[in-house]
Amino acid sequence: MSVTSQSSGERTDRAEVELRVPADSAYASVLRTTTAGLAARLDFTIDDIEDLRIAVGEANAMVLEHADAGSDLLCRFHLAPGRMVVSVSVAAATQPVPDLDSFAWQVLTTLASEADISTADGRFAIEMTMTSSAAGF
Amino acid sequence: MTGLPARDDGPAEAPTEGLTRTEITRRRSAELFGELRGDIASEAARTHARDALVHLHLPLVEHCARRFRNRGEPFEDLVQVGTIGLIKSIDRFDTERGVEFSTYATPTIIGEIKRYFRDKGWAIRVPRRLQELRMQIGSATAELTQTLGRSPTPRELAEAIGCSVEEIVEGLESSNAYSTLSLDATDDSDDGGSSMLDAIGIDDEGLEHVEIRESIKPLLEKLPPREKKILLLRFFKNMTQSQIAAEIGVSQMHVSRLLNRTLEQLRSSLESAEPE
Repeated sequence: MSVTSQSSGERTDRAEVELRVPADSAYASVLRTTTAGLAARLDFTIDDIEDLRIAVGEANAMVLEHADAGSDLLCRFHLAPGRMVVSVSVAAATQPVPDLDSFAWQVLTTLASEADISTADGRFAIEMTMTSSAAGF
Repeated sequence: MTGLPARDDGPAEAPTEGLTRTEITRRRSAELFGELRGDIASEAARTHARDALVHLHLPLVEHCARRFRNRGEPFEDLVQVGTIGLIKSIDRFDTERGVEFSTYATPTIIGEIKRYFRDKGWAIRVPRRLQELRMQIGSATAELTQTLGRSPTPRELAEAIGCSVEEIVEGLESSNAYSTLSLDATDDSDDGGSSMLDAIGIDDEGLEHVEIRESIKPLLEKLPPREKKILLLRFFKNMTQSQIAAEIGVSQMHVSRLLNRTLEQLRSSLESAEPE
């Protein structure tokens, strides 16, 4: 895992975290736990954190279905105060057609402030934006 | 809990005046209940009688608690919860019914200890410190949700409890190790199976794709009523976990666990239903 501060001089108010794990559902809990841990430090509320945990789990399940065998799952977190953009992606040679009617997607779009699916460049990616519901953001 | 009185149930204590120890206890117990229930006794005398009754019957609690030793919970904790059962029994005991108090109290004490095991059962042994922290987080979350009008952030929880944000994160993680065993046991029941699904037909603005409901409907039907209710409130009425917790009368953590488990179940049934 790597954490990079965009503005190295001052205190981080924006950071990137990347997590690469084998494309295997056994790692879903690692993703969920990491997400929760990061969100807790960005002043998300307990409810938000639980939502994030579920959303990432669903996104994970959606992309894994189409992952190339033996490939990795890449999870990127863009962190800002009270805001987190999570992108979960896998290499998918099959050019999958995202199922926007699926229950998982329904759950995900309910939980995230914004959610987007893309299938460009041989990758199947889901990007979600979550905003903290604590006052001030 | 008040300090335990000096133990006096050693075998060395010989029966006095031809009475066995049990008989002495019974006699003393009857006297004290007389004082407790008597019309003439002052409030102070009653309080004293009640305390004395608790102390008198503590060996009974210890006896009951001993049956649950070696189940992973400290003996002292079992004595404590058992004592709660004892106090309840003292307050509810009807002296008119001609039953010995110990006969009446034993099931209540054991029931209280069993309930403790049921409520405090952890799937994975979590360090005691974390169990306590988790309970603190639970109650602080409830309080702060009340005062803030939204669920608290870990930082707010840390300030309320007086620990670090790291510890809160750790505590939240540990709560995922908590067993979900027997949560279905107490369903509050008002709604029968179909009424909830009928209800979403009316105000399901959050549900745009009718065909989704059709595909998950059979799966929803199979869920226990409470899980179904939580799922529908969360995704079709768009309530937060805290709001659902308040509506259903359980903690937010409990809602979270139920929700996670239900989604997991739904996902696996959907996957097995339509293989790709």
